[in-house]
This record gives sequence, structure tokens and C-alpha cells, in this order.
Amino acid sequence: MKLRMMTVAASAGALTLALAACGGGSTPAPTTSGSAAAPSSSGAANAAYDPAKAGGDITLLAKTAGGTLDPKINYTLQYWQLYQATYDGLTAFKKVDGEESFTVVPDLAESLPTPTNDGKTYVFNLRKGIKFSDGTDVTVDDVVASFQRIFKVSSPTAGSFYNGIVGADKCLATPATCTLDGGVVADAANNTVTINLTSPDPEFFYKISVPHAAINPKTAPTKDAGTTPIPTTGPYMFKSYDPNTALVMVRNPNFKSWNEDAQPSGYPDTITEKFGLTVEAEVTAVENNQADWIFDSPPADRLAEIGTKYAPQVHVNPLTAVWYVPMNVNIAPFNNVKARQAVNWAVDKNAVVKILGGEKLAAPVCTILPPGFPGFKEDCQYTNPAGTTWQGPDLAKAKALVTESGTAGQAVTIITTDDEVNKAVGEYLQSTLNSIGYKATLKPISGNIQFTYIQNTNNKVQISLSQWYQDYPAASDFINVLLGCASFTPGSDSSINIAGFCDKTGVQPMIDDALKTEQTDMNAANEKWAATDKAAMTQAPWVPLITPKLIDFLSTNVSNYKFSKQFYMLVDQLQVKK
Amino acid sequence: MLRFALKRAVAAVLVLFAISVLVFLIFFATPGADPAARIAGRNASQETLAQVRASFGFDKPIPVQYALMMRHLFIDRDLTSFVNRGVEVIPQIKQAIPITLSLVIGAAIIWLFFGILMGVAATAGRGSAVDPLIMIIGVIGVSLPVYWLGEVVNLVSQSRLHDSIFSWVPPLGYAPLSSGVWNWASHLILPWMTLAVLYAGIYARVLRSEMVGAMNEEYVRMARAKGISERRVLWRHAFRTSLIAIVSLFGLDFGALIGGAALLSEVVFGLQGVGKLTYDSLQSFDLPVIIGCVMYAAFFVVFANFLVDLVYALLDPRVRHV
Repeated sequence: MKLRMMTVAASAGALTLALAACGGGSTPAPTTSGSAAAPSSSGAANAAYDPAKAGGDITLLAKTAGGTLDPKINYTLQYWQLYQATYDGLTAFKKVDGEESFTVVPDLAESLPTPTNDGKTYVFNLRKGIKFSDGTDVTVDDVVASFQRIFKVSSPTAGSFYNGIVGADKCLATPATCTLDGGVVADAANNTVTINLTSPDPEFFYKISVPHAAINPKTAPTKDAGTTPIPTTGPYMFKSYDPNTALVMVRNPNFKSWNEDAQPSGYPDTITEKFGLTVEAEVTAVENNQADWIFDSPPADRLAEIGTKYAPQVHVNPLTAVWYVPMNVNIAPFNNVKARQAVNWAVDKNAVVKILGGEKLAAPVCTILPPGFPGFKEDCQYTNPAGTTWQGPDLAKAKALVTESGTAGQAVTIITTDDEVNKAVGEYLQSTLNSIGYKATLKPISGNIQFTYIQNTNNKVQISLSQWYQDYPAASDFINVLLGCASFTPGSDSSINIAGFCDKTGVQPMIDDALKTEQTDMNAANEKWAATDKAAMTQAPWVPLITPKLIDFLSTNVSNYKFSKQFYMLVDQLQVKK
Repeated sequence: MLRFALKRAVAAVLVLFAISVLVFLIFFATPGADPAARIAGRNASQETLAQVRASFGFDKPIPVQYALMMRHLFIDRDLTSFVNRGVEVIPQIKQAIPITLSLVIGAAIIWLFFGILMGVAATAGRGSAVDPLIMIIGVIGVSLPVYWLGEVVNLVSQSRLHDSIFSWVPPLGYAPLSSGVWNWASHLILPWMTLAVLYAGIYARVLRSEMVGAMNEEYVRMARAKGISERRVLWRHAFRTSLIAIVSLFGLDFGALIGGAALLSEVVFGLQGVGKLTYDSLQSFDLPVIIGCVMYAAFFVVFANFLVDLVYALLDPRVRHV
């Protein structure tokens, strides 16, 4: 997933000191090396729900609305976070604090089935007695309709997550007549749903635990529902949505807790996300307790203030995400591996960390996979002095490689988004490229078009700056998605392999092998992903820069902060102080 | 006269047409503007991308897309946003209008009051320290960028002194008049004053220079010669004739502000008016909303110009025959 741009910022010094004091709340101060991120607190099952602490209203603030409210289509972290308390799939990521939040648990299904038929068939027993917020029962027909709906509404992940279901190819070709015949089969008598895949998929549980696979009523429209809320199964339902003013969530009167891990009962009576203030004004509103939390990252000039005066209200958590510099391996100068390696040697990742707000808000990385992620293995091929973590750049080596490659003196254009932080990183990259012998120019463009612009080979982008935030905790979500041949479509705005990297003889066979191994042995597969990561980095299609950390700033009116590594703060677990 | 009015009306329609074509072309001429991939979502498969492109009509030639969009905007009136899908553009603008009107009318009353007061006082105080003092205050008002002044006002009223003298200031945003007059007004007092500072400065300066000019006219000398009091000369003769300039200036400013030119004030104070809507749609590259807002704004500017032209024509026969 690509998150809305982080707007953390450029004044480093004061903030590093300021936030040093505030690993407050549930999360210890994150580690500063490239090593595996410090786990959050224990991550045990949720403590028993305490009805005495329920009640009250929570106000969240976001600069802008997150688009359509349809859970099959919306692909923003902003609403995926809210869907946790509203929609359910057959399975779910455990809604707990910390490491355990990457674990899949049965949600609307009674248990996690063991796949049969060589890993291609899953039989889910649907829980009985669960109702949608409109009062109708959740039936196996709703499950079938929900899977069909993924294709009928052209869900963004229809062709990438759910294309392995039998019949999905037909549904992708002609969505209107999608039946998934033989792919998703209901058995009303036994209250089961059988899902058949064309080949085993060890990541299948992850894929059906994200909101695109949420179970909606079969009466849900077969087109984008837009601002009209679709009935929910979770503890909350959407009461109203106006992208210019607010999104209001109220309790779902038909919700009864069935599994506190999969879908815990919520505390506040209403959750309102208001839109329209500037981020500056949002911070002030939380300081004044006029609102309880802000979705957007606080701006740089306010970090020192919230890190000192409001330190107990701040929570910082490492994210499984990466900021990276894709280099187009198909056009000059970066079609030369030595040129790409030279940039890897030249970039001072600590300079980028400073731009992002210091070591409490970002850490340098050397690999494709972020620290703490499945398949991550500490390794750093471009560091001086040598080591397994990043130490420093080697400009002399970089210059020598540029000379060797014969690309010295070539013109290079860097494309970044036009916000303060990305532009500052771009300026830094420009000076680095100039210092190793290129003639670099920086072209910042609107954040709304940069992401698709840099993907399209017609735009002949040589080097750019991008970010990737995980969809689910599997190595393939980074390596296969971002560097696999299948993700590279020349001339398309949707070609997420931005570097255009397709190594058919070296890396791609390793990816295929790792994906195959996943079907039988996840641990062995993760070893293979680590090796693939290393092999890819030898080819240097990217410069991995940093892994970011997230700041949550809360008012003093709320407590019980819990952070899921999968979907971030559990909004409905906040308790309003009485 | 009717012919003149008709001619102007046709010209106005042509201007609106030209503006809409221009906005449309600029959008599609922007590199990477193709909205299909942004609508389809991250990492969408090529099939999904093709379906989105077809269902939104992005695969059609640009003139056809333009015609379709205009049809949805003006005939079917169901044009929907590309970004917040399911949101219709026209109701969004309708919803924003009362907020912009509340802001602009309130501010206009304040700036007219202070602008006129300062302009007349400066004219009356010519030759003393009052005149330059008022004019310097006016220049300061004109020079303060509204987004900066707004942020400072917010800093003081929402943050630094929020616990003391500004404790009555509600959180940023808008409250409709139906929620109570005081609630409505308290949300708007600071935005009104912030927006009015700029215009009061301009109007004071314009009025002063007009009045000073009028004070040297022969009819004023005549009035003085007749022994009319200086006060009466100032208000009944100099002020009244100078007001014509103020009225036409006001017509244009008011039209532009209603059309969304109060954008910066609305953004700073979190008021979801037409300007804020325009700003958000530009930020998110949301063509239907951009077109809707631009057409709305252009309409008010063109309409205000049209009215001013008509009033001039009524006042001055020479204009009618140009």
C-alpha cells in the first residue's frame, strides 16, 4: 500500500532532543540502528473488555477526506484504520497492541481451516447469529456476493490479491457477469463457504483479512457505493459521511462480541472524523482538547512543542515501510549497474534521517525489506566502513564507479513530490548526484500525480523518490510486488515496479522459488526472501533510504492507546476519560 | 439599452465557455494527469485499470469527454467527483455557498464601515497628523497577507491566549446560523476581521484619493462659496460623488469573493466554503470539482462585471454606444 505522504519535517536538531523524552505510552523508544525494530509491548490477547470505561465521544481530525467509503474500493490507510472497528472478513488481523497484531485469527469464520486439495481448497464455517448493522443475518450468500463484488466494483486489488481464486480470470475480463463459479461456493445447509484457488497461496489468509475482502450484505450495490455507507458487522457503523465536513461512526446496535481478538468491543459511543483544518490547526485543536487525535503527521515546526510540553500525549512507533529511490534500469545512465551502485555508495542516509526529523522518526535501511519484517535479514552491501548495518557513505568509491561506468557528466532529473519533506530529500539527492559527477536537476511535482507519473515508462523518469507501506506482513508484498517482472508494464500508469527491474535470469527465478517454497515452509521461504533481497540489492535497482516511524498525538481526554502494526492505532479502543 | 445588455450577456456566456475549455485542456495537458490510475488505486492490475478507464469514459477523445462533463454538469446536474467518489459536485457547491456568503457579507460590512470611516476621516484631517497616520494604517492593512495574518490570529486566539482573553473563541470551523446566532457569529468574528483588514485599507485609500479630488472640484468650491458648512460639504458633496468609485470597486470585489476569492481566509480558518472547495479540489487534482468551482467563480466574476457594465451604461450614455 502507498500511504498518504508523510509530512514530517525538516528541522531536525531540536526535535531529536525533544522527542527523545517521549516514547510514552505503550511503545518503548524505537531502536536507532538498522536492526530489527523493538517490539511493542507484550502483545498478548486483549484485556477483558471493561464496560465501565465505555461511553463518550471521540473527535479525530484529518486534513482531507479519504475518498469513497466503500470498503471494497478504498485503499487508504486513513479509512482502513476505521474499517477495523466496522467491517469484518472471514479472517482478521488480531486487533491487539504490538507484534501479535500481524497474526491472523478467525473472524466471521469459526476457525482457520487447514487447506486441503494440495493447499488449494479452504472450507470456512461461517459463525451463526451474527447480524449486519441493518438487522439482517450474515449468511453464506453474503460471503459469495462479497467476493463477487470485489470484481464487480473493480477493487484495486482484484487483479493482484484475488486473481488466484478459481473463476477470477473471467471476473477480471467481464466484471459485470462475475460469478466466481467453482471459486467461492456456498453451502447453506452446512453454513460453510468453500474457496478454491488455482494454485496454493500461503498468503491467502492475509489477503482475505484486509478490508477489500470484508463481508458486505449481498444487497450492497454492484458499483462504487461512494458516500453511502454499507451496513457493517463490527461494533460501529457509519452514520453519515460528507467528505467536506465529517465522517460519523456510531455503535452498531446489532453487534455482539464473538471473538475479542478478531473484533473487540469498542469504548466510545461515537467516533467522528472531521475534515478541513490545516495540519497546524489540527495540532492546536488537540493541544486545546478540542479534538482527540490527528491523522496527519504533525508539521516540523510543532514537533519540538509537542515533544516537550505535550510529551506524555505523544506515541512513536516504527512502521514496516520504506522510503526509497528507484532508478530506471532501462534508460541511461542507470541502465548501467555501476551507476546504480555508485548512487548507493554516495547517499548519506543519515542526512535523509535528519530531513525526516531525526533518529526518533526514521532509521537508515540497506535492504528492500524493512527491519522487523518477515524475511528481513540484516545486511548492508553499500556502507563504509563495511558492516551489516549502514555506517556511512563512500564518495570516493562512488566517483570511481561513475567514471568506470562511463556515465559521468550525464544529465539526470530527479522527480519528487512537491511537499516540504520530499522536496528537501530531493534537493539532498541532487547535491549528491552532482558531487559524484552527474548534472542533476530536481523536478518536484504535485503529490497527487507523482506516484502514477513515475510509474509510466512514457515519462522517461530516470530517478525518483517513493515510499511503500506494507499491505500485509509477507516479504512478497515488497520484493515480488516492487521488483517482480509481473509488476512492470511499460507505458502504463499502473506499473508499480518503478525501477522497471526485471532480472529474468537472476532475481526473478529466486522470487518464483521463494513463492513456491512459501507453500510448504514459511521459514525456509523467508530465508530465500532474504537471499533474494540481497541478490536484488547487488543489482541495485533502488537506494533504500530509511524506514519511517509514526507519531500519534492524543488529547488528554483519551487513554488506552493501542497500536496495531498492521492497521496502526486502534481507534475504537480509545477510552474517554470521565 | 436592451441590445447592449444582450450583447454583454452573449459575451459573458462566451467567456464562461472559453474558461471551461481552458481548464479542461490545462488539466489534460498536465503530464501524468490521467486520472484512471489514481481512481483504480495502487498497484491495480491492467484489467482493472482498463475497466476504470472505460467506465469513466477516459478512453474517449477529449472533445467527447468535455461534452460529457458539461452534460453532467449543466444538463443532468449529476457530475461526481473523481476523488471522493459518489459525491456530486453541484450539492457540494450549494452546501459551500452559505459559508462563503456568511464570511464575505460579514467582512464586507466591517470593511465598508472602517474603510469609509478612515477615508472620510483622512480627508477631513488633511494637513494634520491624522491623514498620514490613517493612510499608514491603511497601507499596513493592505500589506498584511491574509493567510499570514490568519495564522497569527489563530496562533494568538487558539493557542497562546486561548486560556485567557480568547477563551470565548470556539474551535476553528463553521457553525450554521440555525445553530444559534451567537454560535454562528462567534465562529466568524475573527475571520471577518481578518478578511476585512485588507479591504478596509484599500477602500480607505481609494475613498480618500477620490474625496481629495472631489474637494478640489468647482462644485465644492461653489458650495463653500454659498456658505455651506465644511461638514456638509464633506458628506453631502465630496463623499457622495466619491462613493461611485467605491460602489463599482465593491461590486467587483464582492463578486470575486463570493466566487471563491476568499480562498485563503477559508483555508486558514477551516471554513468549508467555495474557496476551500476549490483549494481542496486543486490539491487533489479532482477535475469535476475544479470545473464546477471554476465555472461558479467565473460566473460570479463575469456577472459582477456585467452588472457594473450595465450600471455604467445607465450612468453614462457614452458607454452604451461603444
